[in-house]
Amino acid sequence: MRNAAVGKFWAIFFTAVAVLAVAVCVVAPDYGWWFPGDGRAHSTLGQKIDDLFYLILVIVAVTFIGVNAALGYILWHGASLPSDKKALFSHGSHALEVIWTIVPAGILLFIALYQMDVWAQYRIKNFYPKTMEPVAEVTARQFEWRIRYPARGKKLMPTPQPDDVYTVNDLRVPTGHPVSISLRSDDVQHSFFVPELRVKQDAVPGLVIPVWWEMTDIGSFELVCAELCGWGHYKMKARVVAMSDEDFEAWKSQAAQEQFYDGVSTKDGELVSQSEQE
Amino acid sequence: MIRMIMSRFLIKSAWIAVACLAAVSTGCVPNPSAEFAWRDSTTDLIKDARSSLQNTVNENFGTPDDLVAWERLPVNYGGIKGTVAAAPEGTELTPGEFAFSHEGEGEVKPGDTVLWLSGEMAGKEATIQSADAATHLISLKAGTAPAEGTTFAVNFGDQLQLGRMVYMKNCLHCHGVAGDGAGPTAQYLNPRPRDYRLGVFKFTETLATERVTRDDLWRVIKYGIPGTYMPSFLLLDDHETTAVVEYVRWLAMRGELEKRLGDELTDYSQTSLTDQYNKAVESKKAAEAAGDKPEAVPSMSSLRNTAKDDFKEYAESDYADTVDSTADFIAENWTRADDPASVIHPAVARVADTPESRARGRLLYLSDRTKCYTCHGNTGRGNGGATEDFWPKPGSTEKYDARGLHDVWGNPLQPRNLRLGQYRGGRRPVDVFRRIYAGIKGTPMPAFGGTVLKDEEVWDVVNYVMSLPFESDASPSPAPSTKMAAHPVQ
Amino acid sequence: MSTLTPSIEHGGEHDDHAHGHGHHAEPHSLSLLWALPTFSKDHKVIGLQFLITTLLMLMVGGALALGVRWQLAFPWQRMPILGDMAFAAEGGQIAPETYTMLVTMHASVMIFLVIIPILAGAFGNFLIPLQIGADDMAFPTLNMLSYWFMWPAIACFATSFFFGGGPASGWTSYPLLSALWEAAPGSGMAQNFWLLGLTLVGVSSMMGSVNYMTTIINMRAPGMTLFRMPLTIWSMFITAILQAFALPVLTAAGFMVMADRTLGTCFFIPSGIVVNNAAPTVGGGQPLLWQHLFWFYSHPAVYIMLLPAMGMVSDMMACMCRKPIFGYKPMVYSMAAIAGLGFIVWGHHMFTSGMNPALGMTFMVSTIMIALPSAIKTFNWLGTLWGGRLQFNTVMLNSIAFVSMFVIGGLSGIFMAAVPVDIYIHDTYFIVAHFHYVLFGATLFGVFGAVQFWFPKMFGRMMNETLGKIHFVLTFIGFNCTFFPMHLLGVAGFPRRYADPYHFPYLEHLLPLNQFMTCAAILMGIAQFILLFNFFSSMFIGKKCGRNPWGANGLEWQTPSPPGHGNFDVPPVCYHGPYEYSSPLCHDKDFLPQTEYVPLEQRVAIANATPH
Repeated sequence: MRNAAVGKFWAIFFTAVAVLAVAVCVVAPDYGWWFPGDGRAHSTLGQKIDDLFYLILVIVAVTFIGVNAALGYILWHGASLPSDKKALFSHGSHALEVIWTIVPAGILLFIALYQMDVWAQYRIKNFYPKTMEPVAEVTARQFEWRIRYPARGKKLMPTPQPDDVYTVNDLRVPTGHPVSISLRSDDVQHSFFVPELRVKQDAVPGLVIPVWWEMTDIGSFELVCAELCGWGHYKMKARVVAMSDEDFEAWKSQAAQEQFYDGVSTKDGELVSQSEQE
Repeated sequence: MIRMIMSRFLIKSAWIAVACLAAVSTGCVPNPSAEFAWRDSTTDLIKDARSSLQNTVNENFGTPDDLVAWERLPVNYGGIKGTVAAAPEGTELTPGEFAFSHEGEGEVKPGDTVLWLSGEMAGKEATIQSADAATHLISLKAGTAPAEGTTFAVNFGDQLQLGRMVYMKNCLHCHGVAGDGAGPTAQYLNPRPRDYRLGVFKFTETLATERVTRDDLWRVIKYGIPGTYMPSFLLLDDHETTAVVEYVRWLAMRGELEKRLGDELTDYSQTSLTDQYNKAVESKKAAEAAGDKPEAVPSMSSLRNTAKDDFKEYAESDYADTVDSTADFIAENWTRADDPASVIHPAVARVADTPESRARGRLLYLSDRTKCYTCHGNTGRGNGGATEDFWPKPGSTEKYDARGLHDVWGNPLQPRNLRLGQYRGGRRPVDVFRRIYAGIKGTPMPAFGGTVLKDEEVWDVVNYVMSLPFESDASPSPAPSTKMAAHPVQ
Repeated sequence: MSTLTPSIEHGGEHDDHAHGHGHHAEPHSLSLLWALPTFSKDHKVIGLQFLITTLLMLMVGGALALGVRWQLAFPWQRMPILGDMAFAAEGGQIAPETYTMLVTMHASVMIFLVIIPILAGAFGNFLIPLQIGADDMAFPTLNMLSYWFMWPAIACFATSFFFGGGPASGWTSYPLLSALWEAAPGSGMAQNFWLLGLTLVGVSSMMGSVNYMTTIINMRAPGMTLFRMPLTIWSMFITAILQAFALPVLTAAGFMVMADRTLGTCFFIPSGIVVNNAAPTVGGGQPLLWQHLFWFYSHPAVYIMLLPAMGMVSDMMACMCRKPIFGYKPMVYSMAAIAGLGFIVWGHHMFTSGMNPALGMTFMVSTIMIALPSAIKTFNWLGTLWGGRLQFNTVMLNSIAFVSMFVIGGLSGIFMAAVPVDIYIHDTYFIVAHFHYVLFGATLFGVFGAVQFWFPKMFGRMMNETLGKIHFVLTFIGFNCTFFPMHLLGVAGFPRRYADPYHFPYLEHLLPLNQFMTCAAILMGIAQFILLFNFFSSMFIGKKCGRNPWGANGLEWQTPSPPGHGNFDVPPVCYHGPYEYSSPLCHDKDFLPQTEYVPLEQRVAIANATPH
């Protein structure tokens, strides 16, 4: 009898772990242990990624609960087996094997195929939005993001131009239509990661990689590095600022004016140096 | 419901665990505390001189875990300074209550600490029970208010403390606890992180003779220095940036005080004693060789004792004055740096960036008035002839071991390759103007403004230099270098 | 026939005079221990050498992990021991490159000096000849060398700590961080020693795997057909094949990066790269090439780090349920499937790397499909447990923990396999949670069980059951409290390998959770001393046991404990599969040793008596 009690204790022990795991996931959003910011993706593809995440989460949760319920039940059952009874002598069941091969295979194949579309839109050129101009060249270096914009009204050229506008750790993009950046690295490998947009792309030395997304909201979003790039990996703190088209153009003019400040000239009598403005 | 219970349980267990851990971790091992490292010149002093110097610096600056705010320095330590004022008419004050007036910005909040600066209670502290910004009344938690006219400070030193916190997290591992540019990471970096202790900073908006402004430090922290490991801390909160700027200035002043006092005391250093001894030995040998009667060579210990006595006398007579005047000198210099008059503003607006202007600039660049090419090279690649020479160390005839230029910190220095489009001190035309006008402090880059070049000419050079990154490699081409000639064009 | 079967009493409790049997004198219970410092060619000694070395390395790797956890819980505060020793002037606050070193070396030590050698090296060596009825490995000298090549590797890793603060380009060592001397403090001489250590570990593994394959193919006892092999042997066999095919790629890649570093080649280095103001690279290479080569080894390596544990858990579980394994052949086939698919999924580590996006699709399908054999195995383990007479001892608890944790690790893998979702969680703490659930939650719990299970065979004594259970419970709780929250950190976008994540506003609020995790990790670390104590003290004071204390079927249980040189006192003959527990053929007991011959007439009689 004592053995049975011990066995049941362990059955509960292992079930409790699963219950706790589920419970922690349920309360997690209350503590901010979930998607950052307001929990919503702020780009169009990001929202689709979230939908896929939740779909997989549901499938996985059902499987997890099912398997753990089965485990708990089996352990409980095994613990309550009368001590004089021999174990079940069985080498398996062909029918069961077939069932638990085909059913998961179907589900897994569904998950795999269902994802294709979003991936294609994210990375495959033929599926990119038709009207899309690169807004800036983002160059990762140890340990900051250096950003180069074409002058107002001009296209981004692969090499620096005299009238380009530069910022550091501050990427500005217009909202409401697809935008893209050219991602480069000056030294080692980095990764361009904007958690609230669900955008991530490694910056590989020697490659120029286009990354696109479409902002759904105006605001400021954190940009971090997601690939170990040396001792200052954690220092690459930057932001992506989403602005309306007009604000973006106005900002660019302003930034250009500041960048070409010569300490004297005041076109409209109002120009101040950047540091004074901060 | 379950969610509520679950979450309470989780949080509670987390905190209990943290508390246990903290207890274990703090209890077991003695806590090593961070230290401001001393200069070699300080540790080289004889014992008495060294401890006098160290006491002076420690008294006025404290240790990393116990900072001291020295009021005679132009550092904004944070907090609010005020004076106890006469009670407003018709108000009955309770014992712990007083009216006050204050200078500058800021708000006094309940729970803040008052530090009395004058009167009987000078040096003592009290906690604020409540504060009313409208009526300018403060009531204390305990104790009585001092007499009218007593000065006090609220949360004095907050900014310095905050600066230290920010510095500790972000700067220390390169720039070192003392700002000596010798943190644990520093040895792997090229160029080396700045050693603040000379009070010299490279990229400033001030005249060649002046120190760095708060704005300069702010810009460097916010935008980084491209081409070096100094990253941009753009998203550091503004109040944190302000605080760390003050902390860096404070460290620089501390370093300067230590350095300057050490220079005053070089007579009392081991090196000086050894020199004296060696000289005596040499003169004895010379005398013997000449057949004269040699003077006895004093023993090291007697030399040391003499130095010790000399220092004792010096300490009693002049030392305090030296400290005073050094502190005044430092304070004046740093105050003057932030005076608008110290900032360079071009006398004329940027000369239009035309091919003609660039051509004039190029001629100036290649002329013997500026000799830019000797360091930056004929094509602006930073490979001028000066980079191949051996240069003497400043103030001595001894030469550096390595070829090429060195800065005042003794680090080898590459003249900038002007074709990379990398501008360490900022890419605004005014930044480049200031680099040429006032030079780059602590480096062989001299100041051209005012004396060598007129402002218009400086602009011509700026226009030329800023056009270099966009010029094709071929033009304008002086004689091809030997390397290029070795590879025939296919 | 009975002359071929040694008459051995079964069941440890009443087996005090077992040493009176057989032609050989019973070896001393510590005979293997005394042989440890020798260049012994006996597979059991080598297995034990591996086991003890790796257990000690486990403590080293754990200490490094605690350093990582400390920094994450108390960033830039005084770090005990390491901070006090190396950073006294900074008040014990470590430098950021030290943090990346901790991360790198924790992974390197755990993967190359603990998990791989403890499975293949320790248990592979100890169990393969015993379980297939051989007297030793096919190539005993090679086997001896495979252990002694570990030491130069350990020495290289240890030496690397003394240059530039230690290697710090991650265990993945992506170029250019690993290829350019100037790229980071640890990218200098430290990286060279790290690569050298890696190569030597590879040589050691390769010698082992060649040996295992040959031994398993050629040296099985009469009657030990492939499908009568215990699953442990199957898993070791498949692992050996994986290693033999994957390892050369890593070794080659290691030499290539070494050549880039020292000979001036540019396999991985593009042109015009300037780090730390060194001269620009001349280049022409492609950093992504390293990732392909590295993961072509390192993904199969994940299964090298898992399959043997799967096999051992199957053995232990069947024994502790007193029940045949459910679906023996599907178990074998799914292990083979995992190994096969394991070779064509490496690209799932590179979804965000900028490789050809079309590859992303194919790798996604193959990766998601690899979950299938894993699922089948899980269901079969549940099937094995079903209806068994469960013995809830330490071995069993660790085996159940293996399954339970493997379920979590496997399911979280599905998120990472789905490319679009992986875009977000790639290189966040989600992946850290995932692989710790697989490598620690599954493999190490399997190993803890295996240590307890086969300890009697090594020393003729049992490990303490109470200590074993305490160790299990503490480790299990500590493990889950440490690693489960990492899933949530990952969803919150918490990047890996950050020395100080909390200066990002979106991560600020995660500090208390990290402090909780660190406490749990410390608890888990302390618990491992219980294991060590139990392991070493039981050699001397453990309860004595006979040949077959668990009543298990495998051939190894027919030998003395510990087996003498040459293992078997009588050459064994195998008559059954390894899992015939509770079979009707074994009348008076509930197990049927593989060597026990049941005459035909008896079998017919029983078959007739059993209702269908």
